[in-house]
Amino acid sequence: MVYPRPQQPCWHSPLTRRSLLRGTGAALALPWLEAMIKTKASAAEKDGSNPTDAPLRMAALFVPNGVRQDQWTPTETGHNYELSPTLQPLAKLKDQLLVLTNLWNQGSNIGDGHYVKTSGFLTCTTINKSLGIDLNCNGQSMDQVAANHAGRQTPIPSLELGIDPVTTGVDTNVGYTRVYGSHIAWSGPTSPLARELNPKMVFERLFRASNPKKETIARDRLLLDRVLTDAKELKQKLGASDRQRMDEYLQSVRSIEKRLQNQQSGAIRNWRPLVDLKPKDRPDPDAPDQYPEQVQLMLDMIALAFQTDTTRVCTFMFGNAVSGRNFSFLEGVTGGHHDTSHHQNSEDKLRQYQLINLWHIQQYAYLLEKLAGMQERDGTVLENSMILYGSGLRDGNSHNPHNLPILVGGSGSGKIATGQHLQYGPDTPLANLYAGLLNAFDKKTTNFADSTEILPGVLT
Amino acid sequence: MTQTQSARADEDVVMSDSAVVGFLREYCLECHNTQEAESGLDLSAFSKAADITKSVAAWNQIAARVGDRQMPPADSKMPEPETRTQFVRWIQSTLSKHICDDGVTAGQPVIRRMNRTEYANTVRDLLGIPINAGHALPNDGAGGEGFDNAAEILFVSPIYAEKYLQAAKTAIGHALKDPTDRQRLIVASPKEGQTPNQAARLVLANFLPRAFRRPVSKIEIDEYAALFNKDFAVDQSYDSAVEFALIAAMVSPKFLFLYEQPSAPGNQTLVSHHEIASRLSYFLWASMPDQELMQLADEKKLHDVDVLTTQVKRMLRSEVDSRGLRRDSKVRGFASSFIEQWLGTRALGREFKPDTSVAPRYDSELEGGMKYEPIFFFEDLLSDNRSLLNLIDSDFTYVNRRLANHYGVRGEFREQPKRVTLKESDRRGGLLGMGAVLAVSSLPHRTSPVLRGKWILDTMLGTPPPPPPPDVPVLEEATNKSGKFKSLREQLESHRSNPTCASCHNAMDPLGFGLENYDVLGSWRTEAGGTPIDASGSLPDGKEFDGPKELKQMLLNRKDQFARNLTRKMLGYSLGRSLTAEDNCVIDSIAEKLAKEDYRTQTLIVEIVKSVPFRYKQVTLPAK
Repeated sequence: MVYPRPQQPCWHSPLTRRSLLRGTGAALALPWLEAMIKTKASAAEKDGSNPTDAPLRMAALFVPNGVRQDQWTPTETGHNYELSPTLQPLAKLKDQLLVLTNLWNQGSNIGDGHYVKTSGFLTCTTINKSLGIDLNCNGQSMDQVAANHAGRQTPIPSLELGIDPVTTGVDTNVGYTRVYGSHIAWSGPTSPLARELNPKMVFERLFRASNPKKETIARDRLLLDRVLTDAKELKQKLGASDRQRMDEYLQSVRSIEKRLQNQQSGAIRNWRPLVDLKPKDRPDPDAPDQYPEQVQLMLDMIALAFQTDTTRVCTFMFGNAVSGRNFSFLEGVTGGHHDTSHHQNSEDKLRQYQLINLWHIQQYAYLLEKLAGMQERDGTVLENSMILYGSGLRDGNSHNPHNLPILVGGSGSGKIATGQHLQYGPDTPLANLYAGLLNAFDKKTTNFADSTEILPGVLT
Repeated sequence: MTQTQSARADEDVVMSDSAVVGFLREYCLECHNTQEAESGLDLSAFSKAADITKSVAAWNQIAARVGDRQMPPADSKMPEPETRTQFVRWIQSTLSKHICDDGVTAGQPVIRRMNRTEYANTVRDLLGIPINAGHALPNDGAGGEGFDNAAEILFVSPIYAEKYLQAAKTAIGHALKDPTDRQRLIVASPKEGQTPNQAARLVLANFLPRAFRRPVSKIEIDEYAALFNKDFAVDQSYDSAVEFALIAAMVSPKFLFLYEQPSAPGNQTLVSHHEIASRLSYFLWASMPDQELMQLADEKKLHDVDVLTTQVKRMLRSEVDSRGLRRDSKVRGFASSFIEQWLGTRALGREFKPDTSVAPRYDSELEGGMKYEPIFFFEDLLSDNRSLLNLIDSDFTYVNRRLANHYGVRGEFREQPKRVTLKESDRRGGLLGMGAVLAVSSLPHRTSPVLRGKWILDTMLGTPPPPPPPDVPVLEEATNKSGKFKSLREQLESHRSNPTCASCHNAMDPLGFGLENYDVLGSWRTEAGGTPIDASGSLPDGKEFDGPKELKQMLLNRKDQFARNLTRKMLGYSLGRSLTAEDNCVIDSIAEKLAKEDYRTQTLIVEIVKSVPFRYKQVTLPAK
């Protein structure tokens, strides 16, 4: 179904689109769905469950090619700091924002300028230099540790999203397959997670997962049972070293099997969202397939998935490593992203680089504001989220992973000490932040990749 | 190819081990020593030929960089040309002897899922309907020689099972809608004397061997018939229960994965007849074997190299209609997968989009013309068995209406690309005259001689330059002494005055300048920004040229290096895996055969199909 899209870029008035949705869609919402939601909500109230029981959600947004350094880091630290020029679009969200300075990713301080810093962004490990054979990130990404912990509670354990298809070819220059530059989520050392690139397909997937048709559940389970038996049979026939691929497929089939089983048995989740996914939330089929619109639709999908508790963990890549995306849709920008990031201190390139950085932060602000506009029984979805934003390198011209540009948005159900700019000693492990976020996510650990402690000051 | 690189194992080894040590000491150790180990390379411990066999990859790279005069760097002491040649020849013959002495070895049996393109083509051929069933699948990255069929990178993420299930439901649903398509799949229905179960078994006996690309056992039919029975029991609907069983087969790994029976460890064995049918069809069609291949496999005729040769020629065929247009052909699946990934032109419209300020007239018809030019061109070489050297220079190409206009080529054209004979004055011919190639080796808003030079070195000659050092020195001010804005050529020249940069850029930039007459999208130009184009260049070996025609002539002088690189790419594509040092022996012998047979395209394909890695498999025990 079609609904009007706002003419203004959404970040100027975050509620416009949502109000529009409500305005045009309410009449079409299915009555039983509304009724159902009410019952659930009142049930929750009746049994006296604490409204702050709303689950924590975690997302990580990755930006390729670094940032213009002199415009990124705020001058002051603590609570009364002035936002830097690039962070200005976050002004309204300052109390839900944490700016972190001097974190670095030691594992990615080797190899090449981009690939190690992309695949290693959430793993904090050193990936194998490889064109394919022995491809290995030597770890697991932070989001997947979280998904393993909480994923069973939701129809989809985690969502992996992007805009750019996996970049074609291998980079013979530096000796890495571009697969590395196209993934940040790794469920295991040799398993990068494929991303969904089309917002409409994301919606269909979310919808299928959260609203299965009763009659198809039983049939699908029967069918998948056959498939599982075939996979096990093949696995037996294959040589020992070849079984891994079949294992991957077995896991893939089992994960839907499990979901269907839970849905069939009506397994009880530990929390019900206030809002369920509705057909009217489907992305506008006539939305332009241009980059800026696609990015916003993807961010809409993240918000929707979090609001409806279809998943609690998500990663999104604004672009792949070394992205040369043409940003001339921005006034005053003429070049490709990667080329511009190699500014060589040219004033004009730095100016354009800054405009590109600023646009990305505007998108981040768009998502945060959208989540802030989604009420839960107590607080907003943003207040129950931790939205990481960052790049795997600092300055696009020098490619180093020192003092990375890192933000966290959302106070994580009160567990994250937002509203300040924290500056650490030089080369404090980024993994310390991740260890902190995982702890906030109730994954008790002091140990993530090369972490040395939980980053002080981050948790309340 | 430089004569140094055509060295064969049987040629005299012209350098002694001690002379090699002397060479290293004189020209290399200043930087590549234990303390500095520039680029992680420490050559100080080297003393005898056997040492280099321990790090084959590193020494291959040394041979390439010294042979290409990228090393030693320009500001250091230079070996005499003859010494340089001898040194490179020594490395190559030592390595080659070491590896090929053991005989050519096969790789592991195939086990990989179909990639997205193969999945779409296979569903199309299995169901006989023109749909793209793969559109909702995630797209694949590339590995090995740069192709998306490399087993190592064909991961299976959790999202896949769900995607395959949806795609199979949609595709089967689609195929059963049309009565004719339906009849091809539902070959039997219950009737007097034929129970629903019996009819379903007939349908499965027809469908499963095609879906699994091999004969199926009675047990397998039983298993799928049992699935039919369970669903039939629910509502007694034959149609939906049969449809259900077919969907299940299409979500089975037996359909989705190309896999081969492992042989006994350590034994090199021929791949089975049905396995080679699939190897052939996924190589030359990017799809499943057809009935003829399946029948030859059933008759156990596919171990015969003459039969294989005949099949290759049949499979490469593509017809031209009375208007001179190429009809749809299965070989196009191969031509497009291979050429677009080898050349990098798949990036056109994806990673590469020209800026509107330099390409105001860029539209979908022009983009289509640009994208399809190399595909149709390569399909022509394959089908008509032309020389591969046409890729360097040719007197024909394929253009549609918009592209002809863009190039200024005359003739009658429509939206579909058509073959056109080129005149000297068209200034086209070969890959380097193609808009798609010239575009993907540019920046969105301007040409880049550096990127184009790198493209030639990497894509055509197989000698990619190493990455720039981590801290690239900042270019000096973009103005020259008289205060005027420096031209790109002047800026790059001052860049090359830095010896660190010069060692690679001296090889890259001049090649790229040879193509400066082509703008971002490959239109011919004689000036840029008011300055006349200077397309001259001189290479590290002192050879000078001016403009694309002379540049192509220079590349023709290196045709053996070009052919060897193309052989390498093609072998990697055909095997769907990363190549190993052992595969180099096969590349050498095929490249040699190519030179003897006028670089015929079908010679390349046939020789690959006849080679040991293509026809054999070997299970190697994992290293302890």
